[in-house]
Amino acid sequence: MKMLRVRAVARKEFIHIIRDPRSLGMAIAMPMLMLVLFGYALTLDVDRVPLVVWDQSGSHVSREFISRFSGSRYFSVRSYVSRYQELEGAIDTGRALVALVVPRDFAGRVESGRTAQVQLIVDGSDSNTATIAMGYAQAIARTYSQEVVLRQIQRAGGRTLVMPLDLRPRVWFNTELESKNYIVPGLIAVIMMVIAALLTSLTVAREWERGTMEQLISTPIEGKELILGKLIPYFCIGMLDVLIAVLMGQFLFHIPLRGSVPLLFLMSAIFLAGTLSLGMFISIVSKSQLLATQLAMVLTFLPSFLLSGFMYAIVNMPKPLQLITHVIPARYFVALLKGIYLKGVGLEILGFDAGLLAVFSVVMATLANRKFKKKLE
Amino acid sequence: MNARSNGKAVVVENLEKRFGGFVAVDRISFEVSTGEIFGFLGPNGAGKSTTIRMLCGILEPSSGKGTVAGFDIQTEPERIKSQIGYMSQRFSLYEDLTVEENIDFFSGIYRIPPEKKQERKKWVIEMAGLQEHRNSRTAILSGGWKQRLALGCAILHEPPIIFLDEPTSGVDPISRRQFWNLIYELSGKGVTVFVTTHYMDEAEYCDRLGLIYRGELIASGPPAVLKTELMQEDVLEVLCERPQDAMGEIERAPGIKEVALFGKGLHVVAEDGDAAVSAIRNILDDRGYRTDRIEKIVPSLEDVFVSLIEAHDRLEQPQEEVRR
Amino acid sequence: MFERIRHMLRKEFIQALRDPRMKSTIFLIPTIQVLVFGYVVTTDVRHVTTAVYDLDNSVTTRDLVSRFVESGYFDTVEYISTDGREVDLMDRGDVQAVLRMNKGFEDDLRAGRTVQLQVIVDGTDSNTARIVLDYSAKIASQFSQEVLQERFTRLQGAVAQPGQVELETRAWFNENLESRNFYVPGVISMLVMLVTLILTSNAVVREKEIGTMEQIMVTPITPREFILGKTIPFALIAFIDVMVVTIIGVFWFGVPIRGNLLLLFFATALYVMTGLGVGLLISTISRTQQQAMMSTFFFFLPAQLLSGFMFPIANMPRVIQWLTFLDPLRYFLVIIRSIFLKGVGLNVLWPNFVALAIMGQVTLWLATRRFRKTLV
Repeated sequence: MKMLRVRAVARKEFIHIIRDPRSLGMAIAMPMLMLVLFGYALTLDVDRVPLVVWDQSGSHVSREFISRFSGSRYFSVRSYVSRYQELEGAIDTGRALVALVVPRDFAGRVESGRTAQVQLIVDGSDSNTATIAMGYAQAIARTYSQEVVLRQIQRAGGRTLVMPLDLRPRVWFNTELESKNYIVPGLIAVIMMVIAALLTSLTVAREWERGTMEQLISTPIEGKELILGKLIPYFCIGMLDVLIAVLMGQFLFHIPLRGSVPLLFLMSAIFLAGTLSLGMFISIVSKSQLLATQLAMVLTFLPSFLLSGFMYAIVNMPKPLQLITHVIPARYFVALLKGIYLKGVGLEILGFDAGLLAVFSVVMATLANRKFKKKLE
Repeated sequence: MNARSNGKAVVVENLEKRFGGFVAVDRISFEVSTGEIFGFLGPNGAGKSTTIRMLCGILEPSSGKGTVAGFDIQTEPERIKSQIGYMSQRFSLYEDLTVEENIDFFSGIYRIPPEKKQERKKWVIEMAGLQEHRNSRTAILSGGWKQRLALGCAILHEPPIIFLDEPTSGVDPISRRQFWNLIYELSGKGVTVFVTTHYMDEAEYCDRLGLIYRGELIASGPPAVLKTELMQEDVLEVLCERPQDAMGEIERAPGIKEVALFGKGLHVVAEDGDAAVSAIRNILDDRGYRTDRIEKIVPSLEDVFVSLIEAHDRLEQPQEEVRR
Repeated sequence: MFERIRHMLRKEFIQALRDPRMKSTIFLIPTIQVLVFGYVVTTDVRHVTTAVYDLDNSVTTRDLVSRFVESGYFDTVEYISTDGREVDLMDRGDVQAVLRMNKGFEDDLRAGRTVQLQVIVDGTDSNTARIVLDYSAKIASQFSQEVLQERFTRLQGAVAQPGQVELETRAWFNENLESRNFYVPGVISMLVMLVTLILTSNAVVREKEIGTMEQIMVTPITPREFILGKTIPFALIAFIDVMVVTIIGVFWFGVPIRGNLLLLFFATALYVMTGLGVGLLISTISRTQQQAMMSTFFFFLPAQLLSGFMFPIANMPRVIQWLTFLDPLRYFLVIIRSIFLKGVGLNVLWPNFVALAIMGQVTLWLATRRFRKTLV
């Protein structure tokens, strides 16, 4: 391995990058854009679900019940309907996602100590929001129901004023349950994977397409020198992206970083080396930029987004998919990121994941080198 | 140069390359001596580029043997690569880099030692005439400059053998002439030059030629020898009035193989030159064409090549019919 | 004119399909995507790993814990006996929740005093955390309810029971709230746009980069013919992808299609047109394939994230919600979900159609104009 040659290649790649300011700009702007989106705009937290109400009872009691919904931040009452068609229309057109139907005998049943049934209709086509809205609605109904029972007991002469079992929930690591606190750290992994793959997946394929690779393979340069030289500038860009992401997370979104910052950067560097090698591997295998783009998308974007545990918890996936996630490097990196950010733990706990990450990077780099042949066809 | 090389820069024995069912290079054998300018002449698709790529160690031969600078092309390609300079047919330069940056890059690749680096860079820039364009992007250079720059980058490390694949295609005639001056200069310093071309006039500049057609080496030798000894027929030059009409008349004469317009007059290929001269004179006099000159000339390489190709095709045909 | 287009089409198809790997990725990508989305994304939370720290160890506490287990959502993996162990377990991620009951739980409850159940939950996945808290609240509430009922019965006599309010829920269009019914139509919307964009934005730039563009331009082909020739193969590929995903979605996953297939076809055509327009626009502003690819992703990623595919638009900040009106993916997503699950028709969906049509036309017009300028 001759460093002079590596330096020559690295310098050339740097020049290419600088002379293409648009790509460079996007390589820096895209992570920022994604961070802004996930930090501000995108959330799985649901509130102000549009609701229509059909109060068939019209009583003081039913109004009291309904007020629990209208007063809740989770629901936003759009209108009060009086016919089935209106309700149907509202859901069909999407004006409302949920409909509450209070039956005529609601007041009577509640006051006489019998069970009153209220119907809740949800638009299932958005199953996510529907499930969450249902949960809220049931919680509201439950609370109301408890109050009803307590009142009855008081009237019957009992002394109980509060529910006997008091639930004390405590949330660790992310006390306000802000989804951005757990999404943004994982986002760093996604960003790096996507950017790294986008940038490097074209670099070798491009030279094959343009013919400059043919010239290069007729020189004494070694495959690993070429690969290393090409990786260096993109590594720098990648680490710059990490820095930007961490800074934005800290100062813009106030995401707590409880663990060790040097460890964070060290892990990022290892992961980056691995993803860049993966991108390089794609580039070597493709020889055509179009194919490289498609492969990059399938092999990096999809898995890192869906299967890394960044947004969808791995434990909830079907077993076969869980097994597959074991070979997706982003999975370990996301675990590391969340651990360092939210739990503040270090290598004593994360050592295993860190080790696997290192293995991935080494394997990837070896594969890329092995696949690269200084021959045509 | 390697002690094994024996004064032979390139030795090729029954070299073959197949792509699937298609035979691109069909068991060719030849040698190139050190310091020679060897030309590989042939039409497009004949197998020139494929051969050169095998010799440079960037394409795996299907069978056969070869050595370059004494190193085996199949088992020691990487050692060959430090001894050669290669100029590929497509652009080998980085368009978005400047002239200087390209040179610096290849300097690094060939590990030119720092003391020599500036000197070699200066030499290449002067040789290519690019002093004013040192800092221009390669993309804006014209064809001739690009070619000279590409050549310069290929010989930064002063290799003893250089392979040039159609270096002058698409370049204006003056630049072409300048380019060949450079090649002569290099050859004068003892560099072996292996060049492929489909320009017949350039073939004349070479010390030795290999004529390649459909993957086969159909002739090889110095141009003079090819012109005088290889052609079975004679070539006559006929200068007369209304050559287009005269053509038709002459074709009908016995022993006339072919008549073609050439410059202001005609080139006639005949089995027996002397007999043809009188036959033609008679015909033209009879028909009333004023004739200025009819004489035997040394055939041009084009004549030689065409005749050899036709002979080759004629040989192939009966074989085809037998096969069918 | 058609002659020339036909030749171009043939060239494009040959180029696109020559590489066998290209062929497989064109058909493999949609299949993989829909399968992964169908199986991966579920907001169902089960098998929450739980540790129990029961300092009372009484019949009552054991009963309470068993309710958690019986619900099917919680898996008890460890009974803690040393203080501080829960910290360790949570730090490692070995458990997602800890249930803790203090000594004297049973006695306090019998005496009519209020008792506490502490539920510690791992907030690093706030989605799971919220659901865990929800389940816990439900179980705790039921427990409380039963205790109250007991007290009530003691006061009133064995017969009477306190009334309560029950919520009976019904989900329209997607009875079991299967998340894949939600995601599979969305996958179509994402795929079609992505494939169309990548192929189109690359196609024109590639010729620019390799240098064959000049050669084509000196032929009598007009810009419109050139564009048609370039885009028709990709439109076809997009349609094929739609069919592949729909077939897998319907026959493998059982996603219903209740609406009009013709309408779906029509909507797809409009959507593809928009994709082609954007792709072409990108390719006219890019000099190299690298730039084209980066620009494609720069457009696609936010467009995809803001389309309502995974994140509801209604929960985005106002300003961003307005921005989504410019996003073609948003409209198509509404259309496709409605056609698959709701079965509604043009009378409800027409604004989305109009929006798509306008966007398609505008982008194509812009692209053609730029195309003429950069080539002339």
